[in-house]
Amino acid sequence: MTQYTICVFTENSIGLLNKITVIFTRRRINIESLTVSETVRKGVSRFTIVIKHEKREEVEKLVRQIRKIVEVLAVFGYLNDEIVYNEIALFKISTPIGGKALDIDTINRIYKAWVVYWGLDYVTIQKTGTEEEIFDFFRYLKPHGIIEFVRSGRVAIGKTPQGLVEYLPEDQEWEYYL
Amino acid sequence: MSKEIAFMEEDIKIEEVKFLSGGQALMECFVAEGVDTIFGYPGGAIMPIYDALYDYTDRINHILVRHEQGASHAAEGYARSSGRVGVCMATSGPGATNLVTGIADAIIDCTPMVAITGQVASNLLGTDAFQETDVIGITTPICKWNYQITDPDEIPLILAKAFFIARAGKPGPVLIDITKDAQVKSMTKPFEYKKVEGLPGYHPRRVPKMDQVEKAAELINKAKRPYILFGHGVLISGAMQEFKEFVEKTDIPCASTLLGLSGISIDHPNYMGWLGMHGMYAPNVMTDQCDVLIAIGMRFDDRVTGDASLFAKQAKIVHIEIDPAEIEKIKKTEAPVIGDVKEVLELLTPLVKKGDFKGWKNEFRKLEPKEKEAVTDRDLKFEGQIKMAEVVKMVSDKTKGEACVVVDVGQHQMVTARYFEFKRHNSYIASGGLGTMGFAIPAALGAKMGAPDRDVIAFIGDGCFQMTIQELGTIAQSKLPVKLIILNNNYLGMVRQWQQLFFDKRYSFVELQNPDFIMISKGFGLEGEKITEREQLSEAIDKMLAHDGGYVLEVVVEKEENVFPMVPAGRSVSEIRLV
Repeated sequence: MTQYTICVFTENSIGLLNKITVIFTRRRINIESLTVSETVRKGVSRFTIVIKHEKREEVEKLVRQIRKIVEVLAVFGYLNDEIVYNEIALFKISTPIGGKALDIDTINRIYKAWVVYWGLDYVTIQKTGTEEEIFDFFRYLKPHGIIEFVRSGRVAIGKTPQGLVEYLPEDQEWEYYL
Repeated sequence: MSKEIAFMEEDIKIEEVKFLSGGQALMECFVAEGVDTIFGYPGGAIMPIYDALYDYTDRINHILVRHEQGASHAAEGYARSSGRVGVCMATSGPGATNLVTGIADAIIDCTPMVAITGQVASNLLGTDAFQETDVIGITTPICKWNYQITDPDEIPLILAKAFFIARAGKPGPVLIDITKDAQVKSMTKPFEYKKVEGLPGYHPRRVPKMDQVEKAAELINKAKRPYILFGHGVLISGAMQEFKEFVEKTDIPCASTLLGLSGISIDHPNYMGWLGMHGMYAPNVMTDQCDVLIAIGMRFDDRVTGDASLFAKQAKIVHIEIDPAEIEKIKKTEAPVIGDVKEVLELLTPLVKKGDFKGWKNEFRKLEPKEKEAVTDRDLKFEGQIKMAEVVKMVSDKTKGEACVVVDVGQHQMVTARYFEFKRHNSYIASGGLGTMGFAIPAALGAKMGAPDRDVIAFIGDGCFQMTIQELGTIAQSKLPVKLIILNNNYLGMVRQWQQLFFDKRYSFVELQNPDFIMISKGFGLEGEKITEREQLSEAIDKMLAHDGGYVLEVVVEKEENVFPMVPAGRSVSEIRLV
């Protein structure tokens, strides 16, 4: 199984997530992670969808079928080595009195993670990185007792010199946030 | 004049400027799009639209169906016979869900359709209100596009988009769900309708890239044994003349898919027949012999290819297709050409060599006697009980192959495809992709509305007839001179054939206790006749064709007739069976 990252640019409208996911459902492809947010262009959303698949051709067919959705402006499929990608994770770690002390120095320097919230008897640590880096950190923290752990979907950016937004159709007056 | 009176006059003036209600705006959209016919059924959540329609009956003809499924199939029939967008309407909840089969049928057979559904008022959305269904959620996988309108001001733009999307590129169904409050409320600005000709996310390529055309021409010019398979795309793009010119210049033999039937006259010397699971022998087996396969406006459906990995595996493929998602969906393609068939052929024909493939065409013709002997002669033996083929052949002869034929799904559908000799385009209206039993009665009445000057004749099995039998009422009430022929073998014939061939003759729930079809037809107000003997057939068909009005002819045919040739499902076309 190879990991693929699919970036979908769409008009920002109700029901669009469903229109996209039914194509995955029909082809029985599981979505490993999903991130959606608005781009610098107003009214344009960017979906980053991670899937695993054995056959590249099938992923290409999937990409072409997503392109058929009327509100979809552009779709790009990538292998991991074609993109820079990251996720963000939050860990709630218990810090009871007399418990094992957290080595903040290691957490900061080695794992590049930061405490973002101090509770009375717990802290919340934020870590960005790839899935592997996050799970590495998970294993490091585990002896301290992880009360809660959450991981975001992937965000990714292509390694090509151009930005993907340049590929979007130009026949409309786009408004920009910046 | 005192100040007070002046104020009052101003108030009155403001009152006078009242903009259209949502329902009226919708009617104006229909008028602007040139919609002359709507198939529909009223109900609670669509009543304001029907109220607006009441004032538009001089411009819009509304056909009241008996079940919403009939409305969606009738809209399909209308679209298929006229080439225009079919329009159907239904209320929320059950009305909308009843449209679903026709919508699914339209997407798979690329039929342009706009379906309007009423919806509960927007403040009730999501509350399980009376007759509320998430119709957007239900139809998302089967619509080319769908949208829910909650504000009447949205109506002109959304309807313009809907009609554009329904007919552009590969046509398909669009569903617009309008909440009841949006139908009642007035717009806040004057109605203005601007047709949409393109959208940022949807701009199908009509004119192909020249390098793709050149590559295709190169491959075609080098071919020793080229073979054209053409489909519905030729008819949808209206490229029949361009296609004929292409075929005549290159002299390449061609065969059609089921929905491509009537794309070229059946007596054209390069036309070899149609292919597929029950298609003709030579067109099927010759896919294994060609060196270049030119697929035009077709999508390599599994009923065409059988086992796709074995289908034409020796051949290089040129695929002319408007939808990029179809390229290499099924078959590896050497030369894809993305564009509208008509535009592509206009550019391609000048680039291809004048050909002479007499010898190669003869190889097709040499196989014909084998099929004639094994299948055609047996189907047209004129002995024993009446066979479906005889009825179809006789109707074909008596209408000189000029009728617009609508078929339902099953054995009679395949037999009609085999024996009707199509002389005019857009003459075979069938549910090909979805295989929807019950398609024919409503589609036939829709087809008649779309092509009022043509004879519309439907061939329908006894099982299918009972699935939408209530639409006989629509035919009677709308006084549509549609001719319906029931080929009655008292079985679900195609399923029975499969049970005979692949399930050891275990006939599981395929025999029907049929009603008296003619009595029912007469009950609905349609004339009809039932015949059982061969001697009655010719006269009965004459009587049907001469009858001024809707007519039902029931022909009792042989009970256990099988349709051949047959490529067993999922097998290679080389395993085609003649008996």
